[in-house]
Amino acid sequence: MDRTSIRKWLKVPDKMGQKYSLWVVYFCTGCGVIEIPPVITSRWDAERFGVIPVATSRQANLFLITGYVSVKTLRAIIRTYEQMPEPKYTVGFGSCPINGGMYWDSYNTIKHLDKYVPIDGWIAGCMPRPEAIFIAVTHLWTMIDKGMATGYIKYKENYEYYRNNQEKVLGGLDWPPLYSVKK
Amino acid sequence: MGKEKELKEEIESTFKDTQIAISLGRKLIVTTKKELILNLLNFLKDRGLKHLSAISCVDWIRRGEFELIYHISSYQDGLPLMLKTRIHRDNPKFITVIPIFKNAQTYEREIWEMFGIKFEENPRLIPLFLDRWKETPPFRKDFDTREYVEKTFADKSS
Repeated sequence: MDRTSIRKWLKVPDKMGQKYSLWVVYFCTGCGVIEIPPVITSRWDAERFGVIPVATSRQANLFLITGYVSVKTLRAIIRTYEQMPEPKYTVGFGSCPINGGMYWDSYNTIKHLDKYVPIDGWIAGCMPRPEAIFIAVTHLWTMIDKGMATGYIKYKENYEYYRNNQEKVLGGLDWPPLYSVKK
Repeated sequence: MGKEKELKEEIESTFKDTQIAISLGRKLIVTTKKELILNLLNFLKDRGLKHLSAISCVDWIRRGEFELIYHISSYQDGLPLMLKTRIHRDNPKFITVIPIFKNAQTYEREIWEMFGIKFEENPRLIPLFLDRWKETPPFRKDFDTREYVEKTFADKSS
């Protein structure tokens, strides 16, 4: 630990703890997942940044969506996101979750993922290099420091909007709302 | 004389309504009526073409027909063969080939989902890739992908 950050640790211990232990669910939706093995193994070693892949979404607080999202996977993404404990951060990896990418006119691929789950940051590119994940992680640190990574709070506040969009595209969800929906 | 020519003559002498072409040197392309498919597949399986690699489908919208193509090949001499047939496009139905090739189940299920061809007596025609699909089957030529995308995944503003 850096000596200069001791003051920070004493001041906001919860924030510092969240920053340096981003446990991550790699959601292997598409081709982007091929960048993950070098990231978590010795070549780039994500554990330097406190980023560890975990077994289940209930232990994680960073959600990395790698690659295109088909309609069928969106259901799983929403479930995974809602199971994660707060505070939770989401990062979209690759150009497909941003606007569809090369699948922009495909009948079965979600175009704007942030209509369905809140996204704190995007990594653009097709494919982004593994270094881009670390740039994203360090950006996320800055955002957590400044209190800008508030996707999960927005999800709670605008739950009705998200739930409507989800139900519209999936043709009904099989589980009750996570938060109360004002009628 | 190569094996493919032997097989060609054998098929021609046994089945009357077949047109056979040889492409790429040795690949047999057999075009036939839809009633003959089961007989032909049985016949070819007895001749050693025991592997069904895939079933593919082509939508000939202007002729109002679907073309079904059975890709089969032999393990002994690697002889590839395409068996083609055409069926009507409106209310399309066809008979399953599961009694001859068991692995046809998944291929038929996929064609049922993507083209809407009903394979009678296939025991498990349930959705494979799509999620609660209600529109025209997406691989048909009259399905407008762009329009569907604009309708379903509208822009961020909405």
